[in-house]
Amino acid sequence: MQKGYKILATGCALALALSTTALAHEPVKVGFVTELTGPWSFFGTSCIAGLKLAERHLNPAGERKIEFEVVDDQTKSDHALAAARNLDVQSKVIALSGPTSSDTALAINGYAEQNRVPFIVPVAAFPQLTKPGTHYTFRIEPDAAGWGYAIAQFVAKRKPSAKIALVYSDFALMRAIAAGLKYSAPKVGLKIEPEIVFPQGTSDATVQAAQVRAAHPDYVVVIGAGGFDNTLTNELLDIGIKPDQIIHPYGITTQVLNWGQRSVGSYYGTFFDANLDKLTAEGKQFVDQFRTQNGRPPSYIENYCYTTAYIIREAIDKNPSAADDREKFRDAISALKTKEPTSGIPIVFDKNGARKEYMYFMQIKDVQKTDYKSKQVFYIDWNPEAIPVYDLVK
Amino acid sequence: MSDTTLIILLSTITTGLMLGLIFSLVAVGVTIIYGSIWMPNAANGQFFLLAALFAWSTSVSWGLQPALAALLVIGSSVPLSYALEILLVRRFYDVPNRNISYFVLTLGITQILSGIFSITYGVWSDQFQLPPLVPGVTMLGPFPIANNRLAAMLIAAVLLAILFALLRFHRYGRALRAVFQNRDAAALRGVNVRGIYRMSFVLGNAVIFAGGVLFACAYSFDLTIAWTMAITAFAIMIIGGPGSVLGALVIGIVFGLTQAVASIFASPTIAAFAYLGAMLIILLFRPSGLFAR
Repeated sequence: MQKGYKILATGCALALALSTTALAHEPVKVGFVTELTGPWSFFGTSCIAGLKLAERHLNPAGERKIEFEVVDDQTKSDHALAAARNLDVQSKVIALSGPTSSDTALAINGYAEQNRVPFIVPVAAFPQLTKPGTHYTFRIEPDAAGWGYAIAQFVAKRKPSAKIALVYSDFALMRAIAAGLKYSAPKVGLKIEPEIVFPQGTSDATVQAAQVRAAHPDYVVVIGAGGFDNTLTNELLDIGIKPDQIIHPYGITTQVLNWGQRSVGSYYGTFFDANLDKLTAEGKQFVDQFRTQNGRPPSYIENYCYTTAYIIREAIDKNPSAADDREKFRDAISALKTKEPTSGIPIVFDKNGARKEYMYFMQIKDVQKTDYKSKQVFYIDWNPEAIPVYDLVK
Repeated sequence: MSDTTLIILLSTITTGLMLGLIFSLVAVGVTIIYGSIWMPNAANGQFFLLAALFAWSTSVSWGLQPALAALLVIGSSVPLSYALEILLVRRFYDVPNRNISYFVLTLGITQILSGIFSITYGVWSDQFQLPPLVPGVTMLGPFPIANNRLAAMLIAAVLLAILFALLRFHRYGRALRAVFQNRDAAALRGVNVRGIYRMSFVLGNAVIFAGGVLFACAYSFDLTIAWTMAITAFAIMIIGGPGSVLGALVIGIVFGLTQAVASIFASPTIAAFAYLGAMLIILLFRPSGLFAR
């Protein structure tokens, strides 16, 4: 009888050892739901281009392999939610990631929090993604209301008591930036006048450009969406606003290239740029490789998706058991104290999954057909709750 | 009058005219097709965008002069329209209530084109801008206006004038108007009704393409412009009276000016809805449109 028990116990131990070994050799799957088609397809495909570069170095021999299962959400919230559910239930991914749109990210955020799936958001700036009480969502991009705070600090440093004209498109992202700026500007002695909001679908702003000029502002903060961003910029320049009066809260590569040579002297905010003063060796390599492959330099979108892959690698390397347990994976991400591999900027998440925030301001120096030069003129970092972001943007 | 007031006044007028002329062109294109073959062309916004994107490809990627690129793109609408007419449109000429069939058909075309744009142009950039047709700025008193925009405005006005003259004085125009009014009577008078259908489809699309190209010359754009333009063109056609070219022309310009004026006295947001509100009020009193016969 005793011999029988011994055989059974040995068999169980062997089966357990074999299954653990098998698990250890199985790749860690991460669901990557992003915008490959639909209105946001440029951002989703740019993100994937950054992720693919990271994947080249992500799985050194001898380490547990990490695999990204990429799914297109067509820039639709219901598709993003369905994809998240499928990746959770069918593919049993350890975590979700991928959106570059706040709308799709919010859809996945609800699912992730309810179903306790760790969710790493590479590029989505809507503050409510990490509202108080958030447990499983981690946002890598600083929140949009904070960008407004950063613009106020930048302007106050350049010209105390300056008057700012604020012109923006009526989208959630732009409203959040404007809310942060309107809250922060008076606190540092800045005045905002006029404030002009453009509805979605606007194509002309000549009249409003004339109104801006009539107000004689020191700076004009221009937050347009898509093609209208460029129209708005051109019309301000046409009517006599000087390039160095214009501040764009964010500038991705295609925007800077379209603003063109006539915008030399203008400022834009960013979180990563090929022209930063201090790129790491890996950052320089990332820029070169990206430029070779895509014919243009990367911007912060590609960098954040590249960085997302490294965050996941580091969390698993520091805590191997996190590779097979979502709660441990969530704890590993939450406890992470690391740096962006490309710029060396620290990555630390607060209790709600928001990252300690930062922003660079660049001044455009030269623009060619597929490349541009800009100079870093300001850097700021701050605690995510330096302003009441969750009250400003509901 | 102070310089500031003059600048705001002139910017309002030029913006109103610029938008109005583009709206008119597209609405005239839509109404020519509707008046002739009863096709409510839901794909007009996508055709408009297709023209703008072609113009971007030919001038930015191929490096053609913008004026040459514009001519090439407008010219390309002719074989494209012929192909569509032969493959799809003419099959419905004898279908009763074909306007519903056409609406569903063009919705399908809209979906297909929208999908194609999102996996091609949508991946290449989030915004598109053509090199200037005419570089530099012209001063209208104290108001600086980009030559590019001025040129687009003038070309749009000339095109509309030619179109109007064609429809009013040319044999083809008279035949087209006869078909608009009563196709059976026109057929009895020897008008080749099917030929007019085909020509109307080609002409209407060429006008929509011209609108798209001129818009791309005057403004930066992205893929969302298709929806905005589709809704605006339909609204203009409905207020002007479906099938009324004069209605589309007049109401298009009124729309543009209304938007510009409302944006300065109220806000750009109210301006965007002002014309839709006006449309509802006008339809309460003139359900068949202001210029309907």
